Amino acid sequence: MKHWTEGFDDDDADESLVRPYTITGGRTTSERNDLTLITLVTAISEVSSEAERRLRRMQPEHRTIFALCKRPLAVAEVASALNLPVSVTKILIGDLIETGQMRTRPPLAFAQAGGIPDMTILEAVRDGLRNL
Amino acid sequence: MDYAISDHGDAAPLAVKILIAGGFGVGKTTLVGAVSEVAPLRTEEYLTHASVGVDDLEGVSGKSTTTVALDFGRITVNSQLVLYLFGTPGQERFWFMWNDLVNGALGAVVLVDTRRLDVSFASIDFFESRGIPFVVGVNCFHGVKDRTQEEIRRALDLDPQVPLVLCDARDRTACRDVLLALIDHLMAARSHTAPHPVA
Repeated sequence: MKHWTEGFDDDDADESLVRPYTITGGRTTSERNDLTLITLVTAISEVSSEAERRLRRMQPEHRTIFALCKRPLAVAEVASALNLPVSVTKILIGDLIETGQMRTRPPLAFAQAGGIPDMTILEAVRDGLRNL
Repeated sequence: MDYAISDHGDAAPLAVKILIAGGFGVGKTTLVGAVSEVAPLRTEEYLTHASVGVDDLEGVSGKSTTTVALDFGRITVNSQLVLYLFGTPGQERFWFMWNDLVNGALGAVVLVDTRRLDVSFASIDFFESRGIPFVVGVNCFHGVKDRTQEEIRRALDLDPQVPLVLCDARDRTACRDVLLALIDHLMAARSHTAPHPVA
């Protein structure tokens, strides 16, 4: 089996850190702290014309995220697809949420509460794994 | 309780995750890749200022910040539920982002390599101290089983109720069985604590 790192382009290894923060207009932290690695984000298909105008004025990365999220994707998947750090990606996704172009589905917080997930979820995961 | 979605419009599924933890080089990404429906994805995060104090940044002069890489995979359970598997670094200096990592986690698999059990101690300590359910997967590279399960348990100072499963991180079925062991472990714990639903 081919190792997944093969074919990865190393050209940008020395890339300056300026670029990610340029995309965010200099912001280094998201104003939203409700986005997690597995918060699922989905582009809203029927956005208002005002939202469409705003999207056109945004960074190309915003438009890439919007296009990627035609189907629900986790924040981590978006970051990976854009090859941007998670924190930068969260800022960009936050912009799209603010302007009404995306909706989110946060995960349930089981472990922080010291709790065990609902049996329905566990059974679904078990059945899904058995089908692998 | 039904986890199905009614108030989320476009019916985005619910995302859950299982953490795949353990020391450097124990086979975390290999396990993720073995069961994931997509080739393992990689994402990066900046080390925050909080961790800089304990980071040895000598020798990386000219680099003003450093990143931690996370490898993860995905298993679509059904139209309403997606399971993500996150390979998580065991080193303490990465724990600044573990609140995010733990968010939505069902539990964890701590992978150990019998030749270097010590590299996974930190992960076990972390889950124990936070009360996050986990199982231990013993990655038997090349079928090497040089220690008995009892020896490994003793060396890891493992609680008797924590399941320990032998596996080969390259083998899809073996890795699936480790994940199933975690789900069984959670179900057993759930039935003990049934009067206190959390999810």
